[in-house]
Amino acid sequence: MNTELFENLRLELRRGCLVLAVLAALRQEQYGYTLRKILVERGMAIDESTLYPLLRRLETQGLLSSQWREQDKRNKRFYIVTAEGEQILERLLTEWNSMDLSLRAVLKEQDHGTNRSLSTSR
Amino acid sequence: MELIDRYLQAVEFWLPKQQKHDIVAELSGDIYAQVEEQEIALGRKPTQAEVEAILRRRGSPVLVANRYLPQEHLIGPVLFPIYRFVLKVVALCYLLPWILVSTGLVLSGHASASILGSWWTAAFVAAGTVTLVFAILERVQARSHFLENWNPRRLPPLRDVNRRRLSSSYLELAANLTAVLWWSTKMYSPITLDYMDLHIRLAPVWTWFFWGFLLTTLLNTALSAANVMHPFWTPRKATFRLLIDCTGAVLFCWLVKANIVTAFSVTGVSSQRAAEIANAINLHLAQIFPGAVAFVIIIALCDAYRIVQLKTPQPRLTGVTDAYTN
Repeated sequence: MNTELFENLRLELRRGCLVLAVLAALRQEQYGYTLRKILVERGMAIDESTLYPLLRRLETQGLLSSQWREQDKRNKRFYIVTAEGEQILERLLTEWNSMDLSLRAVLKEQDHGTNRSLSTSR
Repeated sequence: MELIDRYLQAVEFWLPKQQKHDIVAELSGDIYAQVEEQEIALGRKPTQAEVEAILRRRGSPVLVANRYLPQEHLIGPVLFPIYRFVLKVVALCYLLPWILVSTGLVLSGHASASILGSWWTAAFVAAGTVTLVFAILERVQARSHFLENWNPRRLPPLRDVNRRRLSSSYLELAANLTAVLWWSTKMYSPITLDYMDLHIRLAPVWTWFFWGFLLTTLLNTALSAANVMHPFWTPRKATFRLLIDCTGAVLFCWLVKANIVTAFSVTGVSSQRAAEIANAINLHLAQIFPGAVAFVIIIALCDAYRIVQLKTPQPRLTGVTDAYTN
């Protein structure tokens, strides 16, 4: 199997989901390091070089807001989803659910088709 | 930790000025948090090698900084296929003739080998100009999206590779008829050509060239007439064209090597000087022989390619249309 091709397709598939995961996780205020740990714990591993630029982009788009605060004697930048970000997240989740249902329907249809052709060939 | 600070400094170098401080501060916090976590896990300070491993996992400074920058490209995926096509056209229609002509000039002794060096300049200027134009178009396209404004009705009609344009067939017929008239009236096997004060005596072998060229021009006229009546290439017509072109080309190559001018005289020029001029004409004609041969080969290859194309079954683009129309 072509591992590189699979990896590229997997990354492509994950890209959109990462935005959803980040927005959803930031319904509660987090700073970058803890956010990444939360995502890793929930099976959405993301490396730092992807997460921080993504946070910055989402903030520029107005979906997140951030502020620097001191915690444990260190300055940290805390992010939280904005009202607009919350709305967009809801719409994206609806879209994602609809796509999930559609994909399942397509897969189910194909399973039936495969089973039919197998029983016919028998 | 000096190593971390050096890493941050290297990342900072590539970042946009307004965001440098902010990004580096956040990145620094994240790296130190990771180091502290490792310190707690190990129960000691991480070694230099372990810090190195943390930094290596994050990626090279330029790549890390690149993630924060807007995605930029000189020529994007929308225009790139057109850009590549134009480059190919420039290479085929401009650079290739340039190479052939300059090589021909060098081989025939009309130019020194240093002219070949100018090919690189021509190639860089051509490729650079095309790239510059497309880089500008890319910026215009990003703003105006002019490629998205299109109309299916304006698409070119379906192309039949075997069909000849009627206008070109008529043009070819007219050119051939003019050539036949001119050749048969003005060049009628004249052993001596007289133009006012200029008198040129040709070798007797000229008779062969006269009839040979007349025959090929007449055959070409017949082929052009056939193309006007039935404007499609067929394998038979293409073979006929190949034979005519080869005959004409062989005659031409023979002509340039045949020392065709035997005497030359102009009023006011001494006979010795006139003899020198006659020799010079023959010599110059002989020198274009390699170029003539190269030209002949190109023509023959083009004709042969046409025959191969005609004999190769072409995939039908109209299959789907037929299914809808039938």
